Amino acid sequence: MLRNREFWLVVSSGLFLGILGVLLSVWGNPENSGICVSCFIENSAGALGLHDNQRMQYLRPELMGFVLGSVLSALIFRDFRSRGGSAPLSRLFLGIFMIFGCAVFIGCPIKLMLRLTAGDLSAVAGVVGLVAGVWGGLKGLAHGVEFTPQSHGKANGGLLIPILFLLLLVFFFVRPSFLLFSSQGGGAQFAPWQMTLIAGTGLGALAQRSRFCITGSIRNFMLMGFRVPALWGLLFFVGAALVTNLVSGRFNPGLYGQPGAHIEYLWSFLGMGLVGWISVLIGGCPFRQLIKAGEGDADAGMVVIGMFIGGALAQSWGIAATASGVSIYGKISILAGFVLVAAGSLMFRQRTQ
Amino acid sequence: MFRDTFDKLSWSILVIAVLSLVVLLYVDGGTGSDKRTHGPGKALERELAYRSRVELISTLFAPVEKLRKEGNNQTALLKLDELIKKYPGEGHGHILQGEILYTMGAFDEAVASYVEGIKLNGDYVDAKSSLSRRAEIQHLVEEGLKNIGQRSAANPDNRTLAAFRQKINYLKSRLAGGCE
Repeated sequence: MLRNREFWLVVSSGLFLGILGVLLSVWGNPENSGICVSCFIENSAGALGLHDNQRMQYLRPELMGFVLGSVLSALIFRDFRSRGGSAPLSRLFLGIFMIFGCAVFIGCPIKLMLRLTAGDLSAVAGVVGLVAGVWGGLKGLAHGVEFTPQSHGKANGGLLIPILFLLLLVFFFVRPSFLLFSSQGGGAQFAPWQMTLIAGTGLGALAQRSRFCITGSIRNFMLMGFRVPALWGLLFFVGAALVTNLVSGRFNPGLYGQPGAHIEYLWSFLGMGLVGWISVLIGGCPFRQLIKAGEGDADAGMVVIGMFIGGALAQSWGIAATASGVSIYGKISILAGFVLVAAGSLMFRQRTQ
Repeated sequence: MFRDTFDKLSWSILVIAVLSLVVLLYVDGGTGSDKRTHGPGKALERELAYRSRVELISTLFAPVEKLRKEGNNQTALLKLDELIKKYPGEGHGHILQGEILYTMGAFDEAVASYVEGIKLNGDYVDAKSSLSRRAEIQHLVEEGLKNIGQRSAANPDNRTLAAFRQKINYLKSRLAGGCE
């Protein structure tokens, strides 16, 4: 395996994601949220005026970096292929519910690991939930739950999401008057844009080459055991984040009083369970969806749009959990998500006659 | 790409639209010259609203502050009850209530009031906010964590203590930061 190029690419992705995930917090991003795709999406949706939580509004350059890094890498290595047409509306809804799951847990799968490696033991329920969700998704795939195949061709509009994110980057620099930026709260905490953009672009490019994905790594491990390079990427990510947290003095082990966390373990479990299940069905965690959208996958682009809608609704409807716990709307959204996924699995299932 | 009339027409529209956009952005400077957007801009509007709110808070709660200065804490608490009922979405009343209760030695009740206030408005834990009570809350958490251990050891099954511990942990979590 050590002579395998894919192995080293995945390991580098995991390593850099772990180091930068912690360092971005050191440089100014919120605690344990150096990289959190769902938080960044909620912040960016707020900056675009899609929700009114004045403490969660900032156009995060990391997001633009992920997508644009992926586009650049895909173009340089001739990997950019416009494709789509596989159940786009279903993916849009799954994107919405994926963010609801993250919002109830307070973080995407990347932040889940960052929280854990910073000593937040309340994240353990999320880890168990994510693994259970991936397992559930895999069971579905094994029993014929799959979307219609994608078609390839320019008409799928694979360039639209990269263009949208390029436009968002222009907005970030030009700062048109309609953009909103928090002056208090998590939205007002950010690392210098040069750092965030460089880190985002580099990670986007690396993740495009390596296909690194948190849920994908767990899925591949369940399918093929230790032979898959993806698992090593995940282990290096966790190891690097743990070491960086220890070195930077950010390792505070404990269950209580952790930053951006609550102790409603059942809902953390269910939230991440929903994210894991959806991720397997649509082929990747929120981070991977951004990377795929960057390499021309219009279906992943629909998920990204869904994630922005989900981010806006999570804040506007009070779905997002806080340190005080999970609201009734958050609980309802998770159960509605499971209803959607389970009903969808029954409908999409290819049954042998 | 330039095969027929339709291609040429599409290219012409594209070029004209892009050029017009560039000219428009150049002339307008991207600020929007439309009367509707001509106001002070959303950031400034928000800043003004925030300052007005701070002003309003100090006016609304001025009688309470006066009573506190006179050492009339009981009356101040009664006045606060009235104001909290009148403005249920405003956290400042709870914060003042917490401050008074703390001075009166009602530690658990003070913590509960701070928690209510912060749930309504997170500005009180922000170091940068003009409403910030971060130092006081930090002190409250340290004191709470210190005495909760002794009290729990004496009454391990006390549910009130468990609820109190939860409140202290909430404040600790808010002070620790992270996404909300």
